[in-house]
Amino acid sequence: MPLPPRDFATIGPRQGQRFPDVRLPDQTGRLVDLHAHRAGLPALVVFYRSAEW
Amino acid sequence: MAILSEFAANHGITYPLLSDEGSQVMRALGLINARVQEDHAAYGIAPNPRHVGLPYPGVFVLDRDGVVTEKRFHESYRERDTGAGLIAQALAVVTPPGTVAQADGMAVSARAWLDSPTYAFFQRVTLTIELSIAAGHYVYGDQREEGRPVSIEIDPIAGVEVGPTRWSKPRGASGTDGPPWAHDGIVRATVPLTFAAAPGGGDHVLGVTVRYQAGDDGPRLGPGSIRLAVPIKEAPLVGRSLPTATATG
Repeated sequence: MPLPPRDFATIGPRQGQRFPDVRLPDQTGRLVDLHAHRAGLPALVVFYRSAEW
Repeated sequence: MAILSEFAANHGITYPLLSDEGSQVMRALGLINARVQEDHAAYGIAPNPRHVGLPYPGVFVLDRDGVVTEKRFHESYRERDTGAGLIAQALAVVTPPGTVAQADGMAVSARAWLDSPTYAFFQRVTLTIELSIAAGHYVYGDQREEGRPVSIEIDPIAGVEVGPTRWSKPRGASGTDGPPWAHDGIVRATVPLTFAAAPGGGDHVLGVTVRYQAGDDGPRLGPGSIRLAVPIKEAPLVGRSLPTATATG
C-alpha cells in the first residue's frame, strides 16, 4: 500500500515564521524555554518519534 | 522523563531533550501524524496502542531570530541525517573531519571524508569530496564539448543507496572570457549515502573515483581520475532492539 504524499511545507510551523514559544521539561526535569535557551544563536529543533522504542 | 534521562545517558547527549508528555505542544504545533496507524501498516509495523500522539519526525532550522529558515522532513520515518551532517548542512558549520582520505591527480588534489565514522540502519551519511585545483588551472563542472565534466562515482555496495552529487557553486559561471562552467580553487561536492541494508552489514571501505579534465591557459590536459578509499564502520545498536516487522512494499 503506497503512502499518500505529504506536503511537509504546510505541516507545523511554516518557513519564514518565528518558531512558536515552547517551554518543556528536559531530561533532568529542568524547565527549558526554547528561545531563551538559544540565547540569540541559531538552533535545530528536532522532532522524533520515541526515545523508548 | 526517566526514559529521556536514560536515553541521554546511553547516547552521551548533553543538549536538552524535551519531554512533551501527552503530546500537547506537538499537537498545538500541528505536528501530530493523525494517520500513524495507516502509515505503520504501509511499513509492515503491527498496530500498537502506544503509537498515538506521534509527531512527523523532522527538523526545524532556526536562525538567530528564531525564524524557521528550513524544514527537513523525510517521507520515510526511517531515513534521517546524521547529527554532524545536520549541523554541517543546516547551520553551515563544517565539522572537522575525523578520517580524511587523500590522493593527488593531474593538477588536482582530492580529499574525502564522511560526516560520521559509523553508520546505523537507514541512516543517511554524507560524503564530502574536496578538490583543490592547482593555481592557474580549472576543471570543467558541467558537460561541454571541450572537456569531460568532473564527476564522482562510488563503487557499488549492496544495501547502500547513493544519492545525487551536489557541487558547490561553480565559479566563472557568468564570465564571458573564461570557460563558463569551470571550477577553480577549492570546490566541494557532497554525496548522500543511505545505509538501507539490514543490520549486520559490517564495516565498509567506500571506493570513490573522481573523474575530471583539467585545463589552464595552455593546451588542455588529458582526462584524469583520482581514487580514494574512505572507511566506515557499522555502529552497534545502543540500548534498543530493532522492530522485527519488515516493510513488504
